[in-house]
Order: sequence, then structure tokens, then C-alpha cells
Amino acid sequence: MTRPLLTAYNWSPDKGAGLVRDMRVRWALEEVGQPYHVRHLNWGEQKQPAHRARHPFGQVPTYEEGGLVLFESGAIILHIAQTRPGLFPEDEDGKARAAEWMFAALNTVEPVVWDLVMARVLERDKPWFEERLPAVEARLRERLDELSVRLGEAAWLDGAFSAGDLLMVQVLRHLGATGILHSYPNLAAYVARGEARPAFARALAALRAGLTGDPPADWPY
Amino acid sequence: MAKPVITAYDWVPWFAKGQVRDLRVRWALEEAGQAYDVRYLPQGCQKEPPHRALQPFGQVPTFEQDGLELFESGAIVLHIAETWGVMLPDDAGGKARAIEWAFAALNTVEPPLMDYAIATLFEEDKPWSKPRLPSVIARIEERLDELAKRLGDSEWLDGAFSAGDLLMVAVLRMVKGTPMAKGRDTLAAYVARGEARPAFQRALAAQLAGFTGTPPKGYEFLDQPPAEQA
Repeated sequence: MTRPLLTAYNWSPDKGAGLVRDMRVRWALEEVGQPYHVRHLNWGEQKQPAHRARHPFGQVPTYEEGGLVLFESGAIILHIAQTRPGLFPEDEDGKARAAEWMFAALNTVEPVVWDLVMARVLERDKPWFEERLPAVEARLRERLDELSVRLGEAAWLDGAFSAGDLLMVQVLRHLGATGILHSYPNLAAYVARGEARPAFARALAALRAGLTGDPPADWPY
Repeated sequence: MAKPVITAYDWVPWFAKGQVRDLRVRWALEEAGQAYDVRYLPQGCQKEPPHRALQPFGQVPTFEQDGLELFESGAIVLHIAETWGVMLPDDAGGKARAIEWAFAALNTVEPPLMDYAIATLFEEDKPWSKPRLPSVIARIEERLDELAKRLGDSEWLDGAFSAGDLLMVAVLRMVKGTPMAKGRDTLAAYVARGEARPAFQRALAAQLAGFTGTPPKGYEFLDQPPAEQA
């Protein structure tokens, strides 16, 4: 099998926190022991036609292998989990439930997480920022309460560590700067368990090693 | 195999009729030609322990069959596609690309549309909703234009109708009647093609026929659209 080729940025606004979505795919590839190559893009290149041909929404990551070109980190991870052992249970029902948690991470939890993260970055100077924040936090806390109850004292969401846990941990990592996970000790410990995995550490080190570029001249922050 | 059982509401506000996510699962089952049973929940029941055991986030739909219990409409639609061998190409690459569009629908296109729905339906009267709306619309329009460009003059996103198209059409149905619909005729035609499928028609009719319940106390005003929108 040829080595898959990912795209990633050579500079990122999160200063190497590993929150850009290529981190998810790197982590998945490390979990299954699959070496890969990376094509690094200058910031801005993701919106150019060459990259748009790979990714219609002008984002990273993309995944190329043989003749296959994929975008959407969730789909790439599902593909990795289906083609290599290590991220899905063996039985069909277990696989369906791991996929269920992948969708829960990306369609139920990430939107409310992202709403808070984006509000803090993009809307902080708006006159209505403070007033809106409680509504955003309330929507997020409802989901976190529910997730916390379901996880309980378990190590992972459904049996052994799966692609669903990988995505849920990565989504929750976005909350690091908000401090909100302090009120959810079991979710904070869950994230820490994910981050303690050797595959996570290798993925993060590789991501950071690739950040050799400069911020764009007009970067406002 | 036993008949699958899904959950759906017996009443929702007027603006959610034909939009609740069990529609996606009904549609997938109709495409698969699989009959199913529905367990209807009165509003509020979805947050009670028996349903929470099936769906930790207290929502619909859920899917039960032969001991398997699933939530998340995206995961259920993919499970149906895989199990019944429908809406996914046979080759591994084509299958991965159909799944890619399923995730694009739910993780790239739907979140900004939900943001719009919150701002215009649930938080319409909040002081931040109006000033914030232009940036919400701009984010959606960027995505819609990128999607329209990729779709071009094709009938579906990648070859034959797939589970990715099903989810994308279901998500894009939220655009109808909003300012973002204007001038985006190819996307409107794409949605219309999806809605014209007999399986969609049957799924929609079944969802609408299931709203036989009454609104919870205090929500009667949401049973019908306001007069000027009716």
C-alpha cells in the first residue's frame, strides 16, 4: 500500500496546540501504525484552485492514497478505521456504535463547542457579546452534562478506545482555553486519557514539526 | 431480521414539521425498501430516562433492530446504507467519497444553517440576533457557493444518488424560504431532485402523518404558523 498523503498548514493560528483538523487524521494514522507524508500549505493556499480541486470548501486536511482523494476529517478517519485494524471493534454492531459516536462528536457536540470558541475569538468586541454568551454556554453545558452522564466512570464511550473517542476527545480539546471542563472532572480526565496515548503524542509532535511557516502579513491577532 | 423500530415525535412546532431528523432515517429505509415501525414520543418524553438510555442527548431519531441500538441520524443512515447495500457505490473509493459527502453535509454545511435557525426561530427576539445575522448568513453563503461550484451541472454530488446526497438534500431543505436561497438555482434544483424521489415522498408523508399529538401546555401558539406566514 502506498503511503497516504495529507495536507496541513505550515503555520496555524492555534500556535501548535494541535487543534487544526489534520491533527485528528494524524492521530488516527498513528493509532493504526500507518506512516504518511504531508504536503504543507502556506496559509491562504487552501483557498487556491489547486487545493480546491482536492477540497471544495478550501480547508485541511485532505487525504490521498492511490487514486483516492478525500476531504472531511470524519470521513477520512472512518475510511482509515474501515481499512486498518485499531480504531473500530471487530463486530458489525460495535462498528456501527463507534461510528455513532463519531457523528455525535461532529454533529451534536462540535457545533455547540465551536459556537463558544468562535464567539470568544470573533465576537468579543461586539456590544452584545457579553449578553449572548450565557445562551451559548447554556447550549454547550446541556450537551456536556449529557455526555458526562453517559460516560460516567468509563474510560471510553463504548468499550475500547475507538474512532468515536478520538473525535470526541479532539472536539473537547477545543474547550481547553475556556476552562469549562473544570466543571466536568470525568470529561477532563477523558480528554487527558486521550492525550496520554502515545499515538496522540506522536501526532502532535509531527504536527508541530511541520509548523515552519510564517503568519500571513495581514493576520490581525 | 426483525423490522427496525425508530423513534419520532407525535407533535412538533409548525416550523419543524417535515424537518425533524427522523425524516432522514425514514427516507433511507424507504430507499432500502425496508418497512419499519415507529415509537412516537409525546414532547418531553425524549428527556426522560427510558429514552435517554437509547439517546444520551435526549433527541430523536433512534434505531433499534435485533439488539442493535443506534442514535445520530448520520450514523443510522450510513448503517442502513451498508446493511441493505443501497446508496453506496460498490467500489471502496466511491464508497469512501459518498461517506465524505455525508460528513460534509453534517459537519460543514449543517452547523452554520443551525446557527441561522437558532437566530431566526428560537432567539429571534434576543438583542444579539439581528446584528449578528449578516455574519451568520455570510458564513452559510460561502459554503453554499462552494457546494454549488462543486456540484456544477451534475445531478448528484458524486455519480449516482448516495447516502451523502440524502443527507445533503435533507440539510439543504433548511435553506428554502431564507434569503440564502435567492440566486442559488442549481442547489434548489438539486434539492428538488431529492424531494422528487418516491422514497422521499413516502418518508415525508409518513412523518407528517405521525403528528397526531397535541402541543404541550404553553406551546399551543407554535402549533400553526402565524397568520402572515400561513
